[in-house]
Amino acid sequence: MNKCINSDIQEMLPDLLHGALADDARKRVEAHVATCESCQEDLDVLRTVKSAVIFAPSIDVDGVVRQIPPYRTILPAIERPASTRVVSWLVAASLVLVVLGGGSVLMIQSKGSRAANPAGYTRVPNTIAKNPDATKLSPSESIVVSGPDAPVVLPHPHALALAADADGLSDGSLVQLMNDMDGFDALPGSEPDPVISVDSGDSL
Amino acid sequence: MIPSPEGRPDETDMELINRWKAGDSRAATRLVGRHSEALARFAASAGERDGIEELVQDTFVRAFASLDSFRGASTLRTWLFTIERRLMLDRRRAERRSRETVPVEESDHVSEYGALDGLIAEEAQERVRKSLEALSPTQREVFTLRVQQGLSYKEIAEVVGSTEGAARVHYHNALKTVKEFLKDE
Repeated sequence: MNKCINSDIQEMLPDLLHGALADDARKRVEAHVATCESCQEDLDVLRTVKSAVIFAPSIDVDGVVRQIPPYRTILPAIERPASTRVVSWLVAASLVLVVLGGGSVLMIQSKGSRAANPAGYTRVPNTIAKNPDATKLSPSESIVVSGPDAPVVLPHPHALALAADADGLSDGSLVQLMNDMDGFDALPGSEPDPVISVDSGDSL
Repeated sequence: MIPSPEGRPDETDMELINRWKAGDSRAATRLVGRHSEALARFAASAGERDGIEELVQDTFVRAFASLDSFRGASTLRTWLFTIERRLMLDRRRAERRSRETVPVEESDHVSEYGALDGLIAEEAQERVRKSLEALSPTQREVFTLRVQQGLSYKEIAEVVGSTEGAARVHYHNALKTVKEFLKDE
């Protein structure tokens, strides 16, 4: 018996069994099966499997339904009285006014401080001009460049590592220093390995 | 015309779901009655032996608890099969874990396909049972969903978490195996 090469028909055989084909398709498949031995055999196998009685317990429908919790609907928003809505709007408007007012005061204060220092630069003692040797920075010194927008602190490359006095370090620098110390290779990462004694055989 | 309290017999799943959401518990009864047998049969054909009723109940409880996420893109039955299959996999994983921790006793030994024992009635149908046992778990799932439940490849792919193409391949391999098995017997 030759294997059927009409894959379209083969695909539709289970649908034929379940009556799930449209009239046209059903007639086409039935006409093909009537002349195709291979498809007849496949259909017989499928029919046998489909009709096999698989024992499954009967389900107590009411028992199942009793276990189903009731549907939790999302409650619609409760319509509040008009007076409550007016109060809510007033509170919201007041909050907006407070925020805007506070922001304005801060801006005015900021402009005032700029007027006192038009350049906006922080004065830094000109140590280089006074002392030519100051071009060589000591480890604890930093160059402070402060512009109109944000001050920039350029620490000496070795300032953190060589700082003799920890009091001069900020909290952030101290944390970084502690973190760096944790990562030093020279420090043991964990408990030392147990010493394995070598039995020389003398003890016996 | 006043609709009957039980609803129309041809009421769709979606209509019943909406009725249940509106507080009509009889709609839940209709839905459970409509799909419980298919779920029990699917569980049995997938190799579940014990606790099928509990499994079906858990499937419905989970499904009803998350009905808001069911948009009707697939049929309700396909969606229920998907939930049930996940529960079956969870059960099997839990059983496997307990087997790993609890010493296995003589009575626990079952053959690889022994889970289908006693599920199929009549001596003549024993052949079918054996032929299904010869399939891999995925082949068996795909084959029974296609042949016994009449699901499309698209729906099967959704249930087993695969692709239509893979489901089609599993089906044809399964059919070939079953056919050869039945021919040899």
